[in-house]
Amino acid sequence: MTPHTSPFCHSPIRATLFTPPALPPRSACDMPPEITGDPSMADYAFPHRHLLGIEGLNRLDIETLLELGDKYVELNRQRVKHAGTLNGQTLVNLFFENSTRTQGSFEIAGRRLGADVVTMPIATSSVKKGETLIDTAMTLNAMRPDLLVIRHPSSGAVKLLSRKVDCAVINAGDGTHEHPTQALLDALTIRRRVGDIGGLKIAICGDILHSRVARSNVACLNILGAEVRLIAPRTLTPPGAADWGAKIFTDMRAGLKGCDVVMMLRLQQERMDGAYLPSAREYFHFWGLDEEKLSHAKPTAFVMHPGPMNRGVEIESGIADHKTRSLITEQVEMGVAVRMAVLETLAKNAPEIGLATGTATATATGTATGTTTGTTTGPGIGVKTR
Amino acid sequence: MTGRTAICNARVIDPATGRDEKGGILIENGIIADVGAAIGKATIADVKIDAHGKTLAPGLIDLRVKTGEPGAENKETLETASEAAAAGGVTTFVVMPDTDPVIDSVALVDFIKRRADGVAKVKVHPTGGLTVNLDGQKMSELGLIQEAGAVFFTNGDKPVEDAGVLRRIMQYAASFNALVASRPDTPALSKNTVMNAGAFAARLGLRGTPLEAEWIALERDLMLAETTGARLLVDCLSTGRSLKAVERARKAGVKVSCSVAVYSLFFNELDVGDYLTYCKVQPPFRSEEDRAALIDGLKRGAIDAVVSAHDPQPPEDKRLPIAEAAFGAVGLETLLPALLSLVARDEVPLLAALKAVTSGPADLLGLPQGRLQKGAPADLVLFDPAAPWACDRDDLSSRSKNSPFDGRKLEGKVLRTWVNGATVFERG
Repeated sequence: MTPHTSPFCHSPIRATLFTPPALPPRSACDMPPEITGDPSMADYAFPHRHLLGIEGLNRLDIETLLELGDKYVELNRQRVKHAGTLNGQTLVNLFFENSTRTQGSFEIAGRRLGADVVTMPIATSSVKKGETLIDTAMTLNAMRPDLLVIRHPSSGAVKLLSRKVDCAVINAGDGTHEHPTQALLDALTIRRRVGDIGGLKIAICGDILHSRVARSNVACLNILGAEVRLIAPRTLTPPGAADWGAKIFTDMRAGLKGCDVVMMLRLQQERMDGAYLPSAREYFHFWGLDEEKLSHAKPTAFVMHPGPMNRGVEIESGIADHKTRSLITEQVEMGVAVRMAVLETLAKNAPEIGLATGTATATATGTATGTTTGTTTGPGIGVKTR
Repeated sequence: MTGRTAICNARVIDPATGRDEKGGILIENGIIADVGAAIGKATIADVKIDAHGKTLAPGLIDLRVKTGEPGAENKETLETASEAAAAGGVTTFVVMPDTDPVIDSVALVDFIKRRADGVAKVKVHPTGGLTVNLDGQKMSELGLIQEAGAVFFTNGDKPVEDAGVLRRIMQYAASFNALVASRPDTPALSKNTVMNAGAFAARLGLRGTPLEAEWIALERDLMLAETTGARLLVDCLSTGRSLKAVERARKAGVKVSCSVAVYSLFFNELDVGDYLTYCKVQPPFRSEEDRAALIDGLKRGAIDAVVSAHDPQPPEDKRLPIAEAAFGAVGLETLLPALLSLVARDEVPLLAALKAVTSGPADLLGLPQGRLQKGAPADLVLFDPAAPWACDRDDLSSRSKNSPFDGRKLEGKVLRTWVNGATVFERG
């Protein structure tokens, strides 16, 4: 394993996607921070084999991942960004839907942890038949990956696949159901910039109906104790959303009143053709985030967006690029860290492999022997012992 | 109008409050400054008008008027329609969007408003098309069009056939608490029909519009209003069973209101008589039973608005065999006389009849007029409820003369009409 040959190390993606607006100064040396603590976390053992959604997680599960994510943020801000936690393990990215940032983020996360990353973009919507999907899963399973990251246009497809494979499965977005790592990275972003999520007023605005991000975020933010509001035209408000534990608004100004964080959602072009919405300009007029509407939130309110943005449709450029209020690029940075935390945590929970032949990887017990460049005491970054 | 005008010696009727007393009205700067028995000859005013005991009521509000502007000015313009309105005691009317081009954008709503401000003698409110070009598929910019001044949204006489489209439109409209009007009709059942289905149509050899065409669409619309929470105006229902359905839904909490064309209260299918094309309208004149059921609904206050359904058509579209003739009848000038005739025949009390053309529609649209209240605009009509006359289409102010009342005897005549305190019509 020669980490510096990783194609991402010098790729332009790194320069554009992963440059946060205002990075804290680098630590004196460019070495990864000293690794301390017990990566197996004596206090709490994350009990899940897969990450299929936020639903099913409890507060400790989420906080465990966020705290580990915090550590990886620090690592990612060093010049040498390697931890050897997943040395020798294989991570397969299986994307049945086009993706730039999520796929890239998982690739980078996997490589930084030392895994061998294989990305299989199967971006065709025709691969929707259950049988084909399961066949694909069986084929992949036979190659003995350790971690499988899946995005699929059909809700529930990732869960279906997870039943057919032996490795850990991470849902990178299934249809309009869940996108758990997005919710985790959003929570990490808010926690680092605003503070404790408990009691914060957080508005999620836009196409809630078709958004897996919204579903995961409502669940995650609720678990963490936030007051969640959903703001959308009625055509884009899911039936029964009032029972999600969120307050429903149609009027932006009323919904944004007193909010600490405003999360905008992407509006798909095909929603603006007169079926769900009459036009992009009407949508922007009533639900696009501009200076005036944002003024109804707290003066200190932060703005987030899972990307990619439709500037001038759901968000005004001036807000999206705002130096102090926009957290949009920071969200991307947090994405890598939180995915590293997820990958590491799930790898540790993998069952012992009985008939391992070529994949004789240690099951990441925290005492794994693999080392990475510059690491002195251990491969992973443990969560501090409480 | 500046200064103080007192109208005294009148029978003052205000359906909003049930007021029915001798007295008068004091107008100041176009606004009603005072109402009641105290206003008489001794009231200090710049202008005094003696009503000679005739009836003074709020000017009428008509929720369904078509003109030909823009696109078919040969039928009617906003100006000629407003003259007909003033002559009929109608001081506010709402124009349908089915013109050429269709009123389905902010710019066209603005056009109607500006045009009416310039030429109309009475108040004109635009509506917006529910769908772009009334195609029944693509939702119009409901939010922006409502902000521009459309009072409600309708697809006119082309119902939105796709229930999925209508459901989304209603959901979306509910975001703005916008009022969605729908004339209940199932084109698959009503296509190429001429009059009410039944024995009389069969005898005349004409294709009849079955009642189910209205019932099926109505039940669909009511269900969608119930599940989406949208405000629905059932436009021109025409049967007793339809009215019952609306009342049942209303009782169950659905935000539904309804209107009835005045001709549905006045005529029945037999009035089509000798293939009279002026009596070819949508919805058609129904059976006497249905007419009686609607009269009963009007008495009970179950009908929110009675409308003229004014639809001018030129002779070239009406002087044809009835199956080929256009639908539609003018009605602005005969709306009040037709209602007053029903009152004179003791079919309905005066207050109940007037309520459905004044405070009823005003409350639906949230308008300040339509009532005799301090501070309300002085939009008024003075009429003689007992004056008999025979309607002659050539005497109508409307540019088109296609009136089913042509040649019929009516009771009740408009004497004078005021808009914002200014006289816009006075019978010579």
